[in-house]
Amino acid sequence: MTAGQQAVKVTGHDRRMFALMNREEGAALYATAARRRFFVGAHILMTVPWVVCWNVVVFGERQVWALVATLALLLPWCFVTGVINSATRGLLELRGRVLDERQLAERDRARARAHRLTSGLLLAAALGVGAAGWLGDVQVEGLIAPVLVAVLAVHWLMPLWVAGLMVRDEPADDPGGQFANA
Amino acid sequence: MSEQVHNRLAMVRAERGVSRQALAEAVGAHYQTVGYIERGQYNPSLDLALKIAEFFELPVEALFSLRPFRPLTDEVYGRKR
Repeated sequence: MTAGQQAVKVTGHDRRMFALMNREEGAALYATAARRRFFVGAHILMTVPWVVCWNVVVFGERQVWALVATLALLLPWCFVTGVINSATRGLLELRGRVLDERQLAERDRARARAHRLTSGLLLAAALGVGAAGWLGDVQVEGLIAPVLVAVLAVHWLMPLWVAGLMVRDEPADDPGGQFANA
Repeated sequence: MSEQVHNRLAMVRAERGVSRQALAEAVGAHYQTVGYIERGQYNPSLDLALKIAEFFELPVEALFSLRPFRPLTDEVYGRKR
């Protein structure tokens, strides 16, 4: 926790979360851009079937395989979410008062990009559902809830994916560190 | 649009034997931010630049400049370019 952060009201929860998001144990997992891309890709690939299974469980025929798949995907999904959050140093998880000016600017950039991408996907979803109802022989009413859940998931997770892809490599050399007595 | 701000932070920090973590804690920033400033990937606000200069007890123009810095040996020994 920095001196600047201590000047504002920082709670015990903030301190614990800051320490959690800045742990170094898993740093090798997200040390390179390729590894970060892999984890973001894996997260997207896990989110899609998770949303599909969840839709089947809730809105479909409540099949057991879908419930099992939903639960089975949860643990790896949480692990990968944690990796991406660690890579971003908690950019989206920490409160603004424990982030510095550069992190706040990066969080704003990530959210702005995510907003643009989500807007595009929302437009595509609206057009897709409209086209399905207009041109196809599909009951649009039946599509609304699954599409809404999918859009909610994308809206919730897009900032994390964007932030994960925006992370830059850690500055490796620390010329002061090897001599530091502080 | 932001202009590239050149800095001598890495050199001064190494000379003073201050780690990124120690400097970051002193000025209220994340240690990665110090690294990004050193690599020219982030231009600090005036507030942060002044805090860093104050920490090293140097004028801000000794650490940050809109023009590339001359090598220190040139400045000390007066070589003309």
